[in-house]
Amino acid sequence: MIDLIIFASLLALGYFFGRMAETRHYKSIIKREKALARIPVLATKIPDLSIKPQHTILVTGSVVISVDYFKRFLAGLRNIIGGRVKSYESLVDRARREAILRMKEQARVKGANLIFNVKLETSSISQGRGIGSVEVLAYGTAFID
Amino acid sequence: MDYSNPQIPEGINTSKEHPLKEFFLLTIGIFGTLAIALFILGVLADKLAHYLPYSIEQDAELFVTGTRDKDQPIVRYLQDLADKISAVQNLPEDMKIKIHYANDDVVNAYATLGGNVVLFRGLLEKIPNENALTMVMAHEIAHIKHRHPIRNFGSGVVIGLVATLISGSLGDNITGRAIGTTSAITSFSFSRDHETEADETAIQSVKAIYGHLAGASELFLIFKELEGLDLTPEILSTHPETESRLRLIKQQSSQNDNKTTPLPEEFQNWLYLQE
Repeated sequence: MIDLIIFASLLALGYFFGRMAETRHYKSIIKREKALARIPVLATKIPDLSIKPQHTILVTGSVVISVDYFKRFLAGLRNIIGGRVKSYESLVDRARREAILRMKEQARVKGANLIFNVKLETSSISQGRGIGSVEVLAYGTAFID
Repeated sequence: MDYSNPQIPEGINTSKEHPLKEFFLLTIGIFGTLAIALFILGVLADKLAHYLPYSIEQDAELFVTGTRDKDQPIVRYLQDLADKISAVQNLPEDMKIKIHYANDDVVNAYATLGGNVVLFRGLLEKIPNENALTMVMAHEIAHIKHRHPIRNFGSGVVIGLVATLISGSLGDNITGRAIGTTSAITSFSFSRDHETEADETAIQSVKAIYGHLAGASELFLIFKELEGLDLTPEILSTHPETESRLRLIKQQSSQNDNKTTPLPEEFQNWLYLQE
C-alpha cells in the first residue's frame, strides 16, 4: 500500500512539475527564437564568397535537461510495445532548440550576425542508468563584421 | 548573398497529443493484459494445486511456531474444539488438524500447509465467548478443508515467478515496480476469494454446533476495532472488507436473542502457559 502511494506520488510529481517546466520552457524558447531570428544559423561549411567577415570565432551552447518520473514511466511502457516515444520527443526537441539559442546568444554578445557550419551533438548522461538526462551541444563558426 | 532562417512551425518534432491520454492507454493496456494473464495462470495453479494429494503437505517438514504440548490446558482445550469442528466440517480421514498455541501479543490466527493451525495469545485474549472462538477456528479449519494454503502457495508462486521474470528481463526499475504491484493485486484477489469461502464454511460450522450464530460476528467487531482508521481499499487487501464479512453473518442469522456459550473459567489463565 505504502509502496503504491509513493509510486503514485512520484508519478504525480513528475507529471505536474515536468509539464509545468516544459510549458514554461517552450514559451521562453519561442520568445527567444523570435528575438534572435536576425542571426541565421547555417549548416553549410562553405559560405558565399561575397561574405568577407573581419574575423570569425567559435561559438557554443550546451544544455542538460533531465527527464521526469512520469516521462520515464511512459518511455518504459513504450519500451515494451514499441512506437514513438512521445514523452522523450519533446524533451530532446527542447534541448536542441535551447542549445542553439544559447549558442546564438553567445554570438549576439560577440556582435556576430551569422553562424556557419553549425553542428549538434547529443549525449545521454549516465547511459540510461540512474539519472536519465540528455545533453545537447551546439557549436558553429560565428562571423563578425 | 542574404542568409536567413525560415520560421519553423511548432509540432513537427513533437506530438500534440496530451501525455495523460498516452499514459492511460498504455497503463490500462499493458497492466490490464498482464493482470488478466497472471489471473489465468493463477486460476490454473489454484485448480491444479487442488489435485495434489494431501499427503504431500503432511510429508513436508515445516517449522510452525507455537506449542503443541498436550500438558498445557489451553492446547488440550483448543485441540478438542478443533476436533469437534473438524467432525462438523466432514474433513477427510487423513486431514488431521494440528493446533499450535503461540504465547505472543500478535492479534492473529492462521492456517498453513499440513493442517497446522496457529492461534496467538493476542487474539485469544480478545475473544469474548466460545462461539466467537469457534468462528475463528472454524474459519482457519475451513482454509485447510478447502486446501487454501497449498492453493495460495501454488498461485502465489506462479504469479510471483512470472511477474519477476518479466520485470527482471525488462531491466527497468519503474516498470518493474508497477509489474510487482500488478502481481500483488492479482494475488490478493485469490486470497479474498479464499477468505470469503472460509467465512461461509465457518458460519455453517458454528450453526451446526450451536444451532445459532450468536457471538460469531463479535470476532469481526474485534477486527473492525483493530482496523481503526485503516483506509486500505479492498482491492489492495488480502482480506475482504470487514463490513461485507459482517453482512454475510447477518444474512445467515435468523434471530439475535440466543445465548452465547461462555469460555471455560480458567481460559484467561491458561493463555499464560504453565511451567
